[in-house]
Amino acid sequence: MRFNEKELVSLSRQPSEMAAELGMRGPKKGDVLKKRLVKLVVNFLFYFRTDEEEPIGALLLEQCRVEKEDSQTFSIVFLDEAERKYLFECDSEEQCGEWIDSIIKASYEFMRKNLIFYRTEIHRLTGKDPLEQYGISDETRFQVSNGLQLMPRDTSSL
Amino acid sequence: MKIHKKILTHYLSCTSPVDKEGYLFKKKERNATYQRRWFVLKANLLFYQERPADRHLLGVIVLEGCAVRRSESEGQFAFSLVFEGFKTYRLAAVDHQTKESWVKSLLSASHCYLSLLVRDLGRQYEEAKQNQGSGESSSSAHMNSDLFFPSTAAVREGRSFSAGTVLQTPSFHTKAMARKSPKLWHRRNAHVTPLNGPAPLYGEWPLVDLDPLEDFRKLHDYYGQEVKRVREEWMRSRQEEEEEDSDQDLIYLG
Repeated sequence: MRFNEKELVSLSRQPSEMAAELGMRGPKKGDVLKKRLVKLVVNFLFYFRTDEEEPIGALLLEQCRVEKEDSQTFSIVFLDEAERKYLFECDSEEQCGEWIDSIIKASYEFMRKNLIFYRTEIHRLTGKDPLEQYGISDETRFQVSNGLQLMPRDTSSL
Repeated sequence: MKIHKKILTHYLSCTSPVDKEGYLFKKKERNATYQRRWFVLKANLLFYQERPADRHLLGVIVLEGCAVRRSESEGQFAFSLVFEGFKTYRLAAVDHQTKESWVKSLLSASHCYLSLLVRDLGRQYEEAKQNQGSGESSSSAHMNSDLFFPSTAAVREGRSFSAGTVLQTPSFHTKAMARKSPKLWHRRNAHVTPLNGPAPLYGEWPLVDLDPLEDFRKLHDYYGQEVKRVREEWMRSRQEEEEEDSDQDLIYLG
């Protein structure tokens, strides 16, 4: 499978608020905990060997489950397969919480849900579809999940 | 760099919504011929394979930091994904409508774009809630100043946005929601917000620093409490009214 690797590597080098050295352990039985520079950029989690410029790998943070394992460790499970569980050891409970939070919020699907929520609510409160001014009201990706289009409401009676 | 293909293919095949799919022609880099491929756009990922039912995924393009450009010079219905300093993917549709539809979808596909949009809508939502509560038109100019969002003109121009790009927000004004009678409103305002004074600065409203994405429940609880408190005050003041001479009340709220 081909992918735009160079562009993705370039993406991994962009500044990120969530970048730290964590202990990381892969899902396979033989995998041991290794120190990695873990970096969250858009909905990808990149991991580097310390001081290397190119990441070892990129994990897409969609359809995954992030959980707290213990006070300083969190896990990410992909494909709903317990065998594909990655463990990350943090330096503190606070840091651990921050990472869990950030990873959840980085998911595109999570953001989409929020967008739909705001769109629906703003329309309910103001009678206007906030996406109209951006010319993207009919984009499939922003549709209310039950498939109903938001129709402008007559607010003259209010 | 390893991209963990199985995670990508799993995401492609799972039940989350497909944003767009269809046949497009993709130009081969080497010999400049076009090959028909089945494209699937999901989130900020553009997958392609030979046919819709194919299990074998040919490739994926991560749509971050690329510009979407119409390239009429290449062909009538041609467009491209330009990664500045890197590769350009040249694509073509079968007709004008298909091309326009794809261009539009790809323009709003990046994670950065969605992130800005969600933030902008989040603020609009908070503003709308405040306005509903206050019943006054908001002085919203200062509320928009921090956030930049691509204007429709810029979107048409065809750039997807990296976090570093900054553009002017179209100004957003909410209309006053005059839901309550002025008399009742007057009374409520005296307890809650300064009467006839400016609304507190955006930074002074409670919950401003609360990331709305963090916990919707908290947000709803907060507003629920506000409503409850206002209702109690209203009940209390109504009781006081009934005890007094109520000649002056123009509106009976029984």
